Amino acid sequence: MIDIAGILAENIAYIVMVTLGGMLISWSVHFVPVGGAPAAMAQATGIGTGTVQLAAGAGLTGLVTAGAVMNVSDSVALVVASGAVGAMIMIAVTMIVGTWVYVYGVGVPPASAKVDYDPITKDRQDLYVSQGTEGHGLPTVSYVSGVIGGALGGIGGAMIYYALMSTSTTLSQSDLVALASIFAVGIFFVNAVIPSYNIGGTIEGFHDPKFKKWPKAVVASFVATLMCAFVGVMTIGGL
Amino acid sequence: MSAGGAGGEATGGIPQNTLIAVGALGGLIAAYAGHFLVQAAGPAFAFIGALGAICAIVWGGAAVRRVASYGLGTGVPSIGMMALGMGVVASMFGLAVGGIAGPIVAFITASIIGLVIGALANRVLGMGIPIMEQSMTEIAGAGALTIIGLSVAMTGTFMFDAVLETVVATGYIAVIFIAGGMAILHPFNANLGPDEQQDRTLTTGVEKGAIAMIVAGIVATVSTDASAIPTIVIGIALWYVAFRKYVELVNRDAYKVLGTGLLPSEEELE
Repeated sequence: MIDIAGILAENIAYIVMVTLGGMLISWSVHFVPVGGAPAAMAQATGIGTGTVQLAAGAGLTGLVTAGAVMNVSDSVALVVASGAVGAMIMIAVTMIVGTWVYVYGVGVPPASAKVDYDPITKDRQDLYVSQGTEGHGLPTVSYVSGVIGGALGGIGGAMIYYALMSTSTTLSQSDLVALASIFAVGIFFVNAVIPSYNIGGTIEGFHDPKFKKWPKAVVASFVATLMCAFVGVMTIGGL
Repeated sequence: MSAGGAGGEATGGIPQNTLIAVGALGGLIAAYAGHFLVQAAGPAFAFIGALGAICAIVWGGAAVRRVASYGLGTGVPSIGMMALGMGVVASMFGLAVGGIAGPIVAFITASIIGLVIGALANRVLGMGIPIMEQSMTEIAGAGALTIIGLSVAMTGTFMFDAVLETVVATGYIAVIFIAGGMAILHPFNANLGPDEQQDRTLTTGVEKGAIAMIVAGIVATVSTDASAIPTIVIGIALWYVAFRKYVELVNRDAYKVLGTGLLPSEEELE
């Protein structure tokens, strides 16, 4: 049988780190402008797919960049920063291409229906919202919000990966990388779905009234990730 | 019954308790049967693990159907991804610490994680779906058994050293993650709508499970302890039977089936 108390005492900092990472992912999802199927038809603001897919895309990109940097550096700051940059690039590219499709393909101006004036550019929004829609495209505020969300998600994913990789174990390096990656992916998916149930479909960014609901998702993610962190660190630490 | 609005519990067909028994017992028994038969009679019996995974997939698909009928507000795929997210964490833990009791430990761990997340969804996030706790428990359990069953088909055992070497370190776990997740989330996602019928949805589950089985068989070609040919052949046979059945059920439920022919040529359009 494995020495539960011993592993716990040795790796308590990493359990805390994984849990914190999960909470960051959960918070980050609220920043990303998600429009789902309505946005794909230019009837809502945001990217035309679901929260989980977007969070997974950004998170996995962050994980890949964090993993690449971990090959050459042990610095937690560098690993976390590279994860954040990877996820930010992924989400920013997705949003800029989405904006091109909306503007040049669909032919709509990016406009938010949730606010009358864009909080960042102060541009008037309500004049440009087509009748019968909830806004369309990716206005500046949603874009900025999405990039912030990507950064937070990347930091969270990189922290989880770093913590699992640093857990004391007798596993060989290649087995450890594989196990830590699949745990990070599993925990990432759980923490991408929990906030998407909180949001319930679409969100424009931090100016959306639904954004205020984030503490609920973060609390739920805290409990869920704590369990996953315990299980993950126990598995890796016990081998 | 809808994808986004307020719906109700999906009813009809086989009772959920029967499906729970088939999925949980079938999945566990097949994992053990596969493991012991491979040791006793040779690697050809590794395919039994995949049959257990199909039992778990059908159960998971039925649980998704039941809970997603209420309208999650975020699309059906999210719950399937969550199932495998919870399942992969729990199954790796169970197999690593459990030894011969691995599948049972994994199943119990997954159920506990699922129950807690279900309770959080209802109590903290306020989703207000009365069967959320039960369904999340079922879905997490089904996800864990799917991973274990497919791992047995790939390696011939659920012992962690072999699974780690053949399935996890090689990255095939990602294939299981997506193939298993798709098999659990896709049946209801593909069939939902006013005419959704349980037998048609579950037949899709068997068909998708068979595809996952074929994939597991292809992976087994690199493993010395699991034979690839029986898994692939039985998988293809199951897929064919399930797909034929599915087409039959689609024809049964459709108002009318018409052949539209090919696209008209330029002359015909003039």
